[in-house]
Amino acid sequence: MRTSGTKRVLFAGVAIASLLAACGSDDTSGGGSGACTTKGDAIKLAANPWTGSAVNAAVAKRVIECNLGTPVEIVEIDENATWVGMDDGSIDAVLEIWPSGHAADKATYIEEKKSVVDLGLLGPSAKIGWYVPKFVVDEHPELATFEGFKDPELAKLFATAESGDLGQFTMGDPSYVTYDEQIIANLELPLKYVVAGSEAALLTSIDKAFADKTPILLQFWQPHWKQSKVELVEVKLPEVTQACTDSAASADGGYACDYPVDELYKAASAGLETKNAAAFALLSKLQLTTDQQNEVAAMVDGEGKTADEAAAAWADANKDVWSAWLG
Amino acid sequence: MSAVSVESLPELESAEVVAQRRRKRSIALGAFVVLATLALVMSHEVPSWLDLNIQTKAQQAYKWTIIHRQSAPIFTHFFQPLTDFLQWLYDMGMHVLEFLRWPGVVAMAGAIGWRTGGVRAGIGAAAAMLGVGMVADWNLAMITLDIMLVSVLIALVLGIPLGIWTARSDRAERVIRVLLDTAQVMPIFVYFSPVQVFFGIKVPPAIIVTVIYALPPAVRLTNHGLRNVPVVLNEVGESFGANARQQLFKVQLPVARRAILLGLNQVIMMAFGVVVLASLLGTGDLGQVVLNGLQKQKVGDAAAAGLGIVLLAISLDRMSTGERSHKFSRLGAAMPAVPRRVANGVAVVAVVLAVVVGQALNATAFPAWLTVDVASPIDSFVTWVQDTFRHQTQATSDFLVTYIIEPIENLLQWLPWFVVVVAVSFIGFVSKGWRLATGVGLCLFLIAALGTIPGGDGRVLLWDLAMATLSQVLVAIVLSVVIALPLGMISGRSDRFERFLRPFLDIAQVLPAFVYLIPVVFLFGVGRSAGVVACVIYAVPPCIRLTSLGMREVPHAPREAATSFGATGQQEMRMVQLPLARKSILLGINQTLMMVLATVIIAALVGAGGLGLVAYEATAKPNIKLGQGVAGGLAIVLLAIMLDRVTQAWGTSKQGGNQ
Repeated sequence: MRTSGTKRVLFAGVAIASLLAACGSDDTSGGGSGACTTKGDAIKLAANPWTGSAVNAAVAKRVIECNLGTPVEIVEIDENATWVGMDDGSIDAVLEIWPSGHAADKATYIEEKKSVVDLGLLGPSAKIGWYVPKFVVDEHPELATFEGFKDPELAKLFATAESGDLGQFTMGDPSYVTYDEQIIANLELPLKYVVAGSEAALLTSIDKAFADKTPILLQFWQPHWKQSKVELVEVKLPEVTQACTDSAASADGGYACDYPVDELYKAASAGLETKNAAAFALLSKLQLTTDQQNEVAAMVDGEGKTADEAAAAWADANKDVWSAWLG
Repeated sequence: MSAVSVESLPELESAEVVAQRRRKRSIALGAFVVLATLALVMSHEVPSWLDLNIQTKAQQAYKWTIIHRQSAPIFTHFFQPLTDFLQWLYDMGMHVLEFLRWPGVVAMAGAIGWRTGGVRAGIGAAAAMLGVGMVADWNLAMITLDIMLVSVLIALVLGIPLGIWTARSDRAERVIRVLLDTAQVMPIFVYFSPVQVFFGIKVPPAIIVTVIYALPPAVRLTNHGLRNVPVVLNEVGESFGANARQQLFKVQLPVARRAILLGLNQVIMMAFGVVVLASLLGTGDLGQVVLNGLQKQKVGDAAAAGLGIVLLAISLDRMSTGERSHKFSRLGAAMPAVPRRVANGVAVVAVVLAVVVGQALNATAFPAWLTVDVASPIDSFVTWVQDTFRHQTQATSDFLVTYIIEPIENLLQWLPWFVVVVAVSFIGFVSKGWRLATGVGLCLFLIAALGTIPGGDGRVLLWDLAMATLSQVLVAIVLSVVIALPLGMISGRSDRFERFLRPFLDIAQVLPAFVYLIPVVFLFGVGRSAGVVACVIYAVPPCIRLTSLGMREVPHAPREAATSFGATGQQEMRMVQLPLARKSILLGINQTLMMVLATVIIAALVGAGGLGLVAYEATAKPNIKLGQGVAGGLAIVLLAIMLDRVTQAWGTSKQGGNQ
């Protein structure tokens, strides 16, 4: 009884308050420094949870807003959810897809359902590989190549409670592509494959290894912000061969070589071209080199700027680069 | 009242019961010998004809949905309108929150807390809400708050009627209990991708995910409360000629009020447990800040946002404590009674005033001078803990893996699957009877029928992964109960201790696991023991809470009687209060079990592997591994149901009642 009475009175209060404040003005413009005026339907760009992805989106936002006058909304979202968003048009485009992890998405959404379109390469390439800390190679130069790991004594340097007598191989987030188990088995290395489960756990393992100077062998990749914070050395694996590529495609479990280079690409919702042809054209032409992307990323990771601020600063200084995207 | 307590006292064991138990024990012993022999001769493999092909079917269903999600009638006529409705609810909420501005929201929190729970609750609610703005981004917090409010509302609208229904029908209870167990234990990662194809991205799927997870306590505790209404009170109602409806609204619901309020509290806490995962869907709220902090290894940033989430939860909790704290509030008792009408008026005026001031000052952003930097002190604290303790914790972790988890896992995996099925069925039989034996046997049988997944240089039986997870779960449960029971008992007898413990429980339960993921890995290393630690942190609070509640629900009469017969405080607790609180304590242990199994997925994020990892892969690679994920999730649910039913049976059989 008492609560319902209370509620009634409270709601009445809210109603009165709303009458009193009916003249209150709404301010909606997000007036950041040097923001450009825009109107119309916002283009929604996905930013996946790593700096490179956020940087691409911020640069595209800056160029589109200031040159096409179309507002851009950045949606911070998981990689896989990005595909579903592009499928129904709630996300218009994503500018950095790592092909190795999304072959099945490409087959489903781009090739079969055709609800997502390929916008071409972004420019930078990426590479997954096996890494050890530099202090490990300094002490045991043999461990710079996979051959070194065939020696059970050397492999044992990487042993943990989890791996027992074998050396531990640490893999991070299971959503990333991995052939490590197959590589270990096919090259007959005395290693045990352990999934850390998340990138955060992987990064923390790296920190812990460096803090205690204990050896660690892990799957890691370039570009990654951590690469500039700690000295990791890539372990040489057998060259990529046609047999390996075929084995990866047929999933026969016979993969036994290095990871191929990933050419990052862009994709858009199929509806974007009709929704905003100019933005579609711009995003198709948008390209950044690895150096350019790193330059903006460094402002974010190193100088603590927001992605928007960094993109604005970069765009102001590199008109010649992005004006080519407009033509 | 005295009649009630006598009724619920444990019955004395009759000679017949004792004899029956002895007979059962000898059957069990004989069975054990047979099983041990079988174990040595039987092959380990699960035959392939047993595979139900659930993985392929789930994968095909997911693919079908992707292709048809814009065209099939079920989407255009059901899921799309539902999605739009959820978005509409959220938008309405956002209009209100934006209109209130931060002063209005803080005042509103205080007013609601004060009028429903007393002065202390009001101050707590307002202070916590203010704290949200101080430690975290206010505008992002409002997105989280909005999603939580809508989800909690939906969970209550669905949950309380379901709870009433299950309290009135045993059959409904049995069926719904399985569904609730599934909802609570099925890892979110399993239905994360399907929810996206059904409800799109951003807010609507986030609400759905939250409701699924937060609904069970609303149903369970309503049911628990109603079923514990003393029979006498029902009879009194009847004798006064109350019809069923009057009986429910005038007698049962008011008496069950405390349990229902605890249900509300748990709904809120559970809902907040999903915030970070939900932000993977693109909600762009406080959870996103936690994820970003994790990505950049900035524990302080993640913890600050996590603390914002905790304070938001505490604020809502204080708004929903109802009479619980009012009764015990000394401050409230000491104050002269203000007429209700006047107090309500004051509350409304305060809120209106805050809104007017907020509007006048155009307070769209939380003032910078009020914000506090908590990230840096947390960073230094975490670094200190890591540097000081990591060698000891790592040694403990290695011990746990090498000497406890690994041997149990090896034993469970070494046993032929069929032997485990039969053995657990036997435990079921001894605990309760044929029905339970069949049920738990079926659970394990189904796990065996889930097939294999690719792994390493061949295929791995899901059964083996289930045994790996089971070994970790058993260790985590034992550790949790050992920690939680004593704390729960103390807090059940001391108001001061309960108050002291409460913020820690809130934090442990609501602080997103993602925040402590990094320190846990740093302290315990990637692997199974880190996983066990993550489970324990999460499973301890509900066990403490329910133990404490059980102790407090014990009627005063029998306790006073014991004291008057000269029982010491300790005797009274051990011989009167504890036995009478057994039902609640068992519910607490049962919840611990569910929590541990629900956290198996988080454990997978720190390297525990097993079923949690398989389930996570449904989100990690939905286009290839959704089917596997579903199978892994089902296996977790089946394990949970099996453990749950067996432990519950122990609870009833101890009383000497055999069915």
